[in-house]
Amino acid sequence: MDNIFSDINVLDLSQGISGPFCAKLLAGWGANVIKVEPPYIGDPCRSSRPFFETNDRSQTSALFSYINTSKKSVTLDPLIPSHTPAIRKLAQNCDVLIESFPPGYLASCGLGYSEIAESSPDMVYVSVTPFGQTGPYSAYKGSDLIAQAAGALMYTIGLPDRSPLKVGGEAALYTTGISAFSATTMAIYVRDIQGFGQHVDISAMEVMTVSQLYSSIYAQFGRPTARRESNLVRAKDGWVSPGLETGVQESTWLKVCELIGKPELVNDPRFITQESRRANQNELLVVIADWAGTKPKEEIYHTFQSLRTITGYVATVEDLLLSQQFVDREFFKLIETQASPDTIHPGSPYRIAGYNWEISPAPRLGEHNEEILCQALGYSMSELGLEDN
Amino acid sequence: MSISSPKPALDGLRILDLSQVAAGPYATMFLGLMGAEVIKIESLSRMDINRGKARPNPDDLRVYPNGEPGERPWNRTAHHVHRNINKQSLTIDLATELGKELFLDLVKVCDVLVENYRGSVMDRLGLGYDVVSARNPQLVYLKISSQGATGPEANYGSLGSTLEQTAGLASITGYEDGFPLLTNLVYPDAVVGILSFGALMTALRSRLKTGRGCLVDLSQREVTTMLLGESILDFSVTGRIAGTMENFHRDMSPHGVYPCLGEDMWVAISVGTEDEWDGLCLAFGKAELSRDSRFQTGESRHEHQKELDKIISSWTSGQDHYQVMHRLQSHGVPSAPVLKGSESIVDPHLEARGFWDVVEHPEAGTYKQVTTPWLLSGSSRIASQPAPGLGEHNYQVLNGILGLSDFEIEDLITKGITGEVPKE
Repeated sequence: MDNIFSDINVLDLSQGISGPFCAKLLAGWGANVIKVEPPYIGDPCRSSRPFFETNDRSQTSALFSYINTSKKSVTLDPLIPSHTPAIRKLAQNCDVLIESFPPGYLASCGLGYSEIAESSPDMVYVSVTPFGQTGPYSAYKGSDLIAQAAGALMYTIGLPDRSPLKVGGEAALYTTGISAFSATTMAIYVRDIQGFGQHVDISAMEVMTVSQLYSSIYAQFGRPTARRESNLVRAKDGWVSPGLETGVQESTWLKVCELIGKPELVNDPRFITQESRRANQNELLVVIADWAGTKPKEEIYHTFQSLRTITGYVATVEDLLLSQQFVDREFFKLIETQASPDTIHPGSPYRIAGYNWEISPAPRLGEHNEEILCQALGYSMSELGLEDN
Repeated sequence: MSISSPKPALDGLRILDLSQVAAGPYATMFLGLMGAEVIKIESLSRMDINRGKARPNPDDLRVYPNGEPGERPWNRTAHHVHRNINKQSLTIDLATELGKELFLDLVKVCDVLVENYRGSVMDRLGLGYDVVSARNPQLVYLKISSQGATGPEANYGSLGSTLEQTAGLASITGYEDGFPLLTNLVYPDAVVGILSFGALMTALRSRLKTGRGCLVDLSQREVTTMLLGESILDFSVTGRIAGTMENFHRDMSPHGVYPCLGEDMWVAISVGTEDEWDGLCLAFGKAELSRDSRFQTGESRHEHQKELDKIISSWTSGQDHYQVMHRLQSHGVPSAPVLKGSESIVDPHLEARGFWDVVEHPEAGTYKQVTTPWLLSGSSRIASQPAPGLGEHNYQVLNGILGLSDFEIEDLITKGITGEVPKE
């Protein structure tokens, strides 16, 4: 059976994390993605940490390997005059173009939305940038940290007596890529139904401003959000949140008291209702901590969940791979490749019966130059100055 | 980006929305903003918990405009008002046979069903995928659950604040001391809400191709785990376990937030290249610093990050955080103020791009509303419409869509199956 986007060709001119992650998600559902990278140096993401084996930049980047699965790589640079027509030719065979250059950059190479739309009016042209295509900050530069700051997200994260803290990793840039994916699939849907292409404008600042679920509305309703103390409890081997201050039934509280060997707490006025447990949360956490400190975190998680609480445990990447839930659902996929070490990847972000999530190793730089530029488009490597690439 | 299309992107799509709390309602809010007709279903005995309690205690933690619950508190909570714009509100008691029949009648005339209950709830109600797809084989059913529809934890409950733990995000969020911290903003819910939109578009394309609907099984934990991809790959090869990194970055330095003029004001700076480093030194009038041997390369700046942070802090403190951003950005250095919610709603850039919609909510007052994390040149979004009062569109849906007579609707109200006032 055909995959959902197997009739969709994507030209991915984007670099870094957000745009390429959008293209990866499309590729997962069958889109044919051609990744265009600058000759010789490639997408800067190729030299981003963490690296497998050593910190040597010539080693393979885990970040790049993750974000660029199921794509083909060609080396072309929009700024090189002999390459521009090749990129335009590739675009003519594509349904979606993704780019992450500063606004106006591709237009100056004759590859802007209006130039492309002239010959391909049904092109879905997706621009993914820190601040969007218009407005006073549109030329400004960004990063994961910058997006979380500008998007009113990180002000509320962290402890009251410390600086604002960002969500770890590259969360904002991934989320920006996810927004680009959702918007792109919508634009493809519009093209399917209404028959036209369009320019999709993704701003990381706006993605983060959407992602702060409280800050803007709480400020307007008179209770501004602020950083606060952590309510995680230390277990024997890590951290848990027992979740007793949110929505548990009174019978659950009874069982918890028995479980932790403190039956006398059942009638303790400090903890007798959900409201009182919330009001006396710090004392409650101390009581739980006495017991939790001797138990493994995942055991606490399962035991409390079986009492119908909303309990969490802080999983590390190692715990994720060991989680029976993930194992049972076969979420993680082992990718074997000759060029770099075998790697374990997160799999499909959601499942639809009848379709398989596609995942194959990220390409080497220019791996598909011969196949795409020479055989399909009829160029010679020397014509493009790519003999050594 | 000003060409407007004759029709909204999702014109003609009708969504049945049983979702609650954050992730699901956010997804259906985006659907409404892009032109779909969203019918939000609640019951009088079980409202979306976003609406809070019918009669909140004085110590209730829900946020009401100026702290006042008002006459109908359930129509005024911040969560409800902010996450349920562009939806119609219908109340049906799904625990009753009559309620189930009404629901299944609606299923016949809808394109999409969205729910995010605990895994087994719909089956227990007798409204699982088999039942609804038998009524409408073209229905796309988006099942958002904590852990996915299968597996030993399929029926576990979660909130955004526990997902960020179980999905690993908390393990890489925190200061340098290594203690994991939560986002305080249930970050996974936003991510899932945004991705759910794309999941539905994917499924709708499948429907276009095959003529049949489908079940979409979306695990919020799995989606959140995708944000840790590089750390998972890295662990699988090297055995390194990623931990907390404060605001530092593996490749960039300086990289952090620095104090500015005013109470708890900060600016974020992130330097990834040598040009950006030179730009920073120039912007602060400290050209000699770019020649300082401690700070010559990215690696050496990483090594001396603490000293560097002190120097930068001494420049930024006393300056306005917006001014620092403009000055640094004019020298090509990535920077932004750490905005508070109150600043975000008046930020000139967001204003210029028309990001915020001003909504006049009949019961909660006038406020600025978050819109969409995208702009489409040919498919403009619909203007934000205030979040509906409980049961506000009962008549519109029961009569207008299902064709029930006034008498039949009266009967449903008498039986407590529909109505506008919650049961306490």
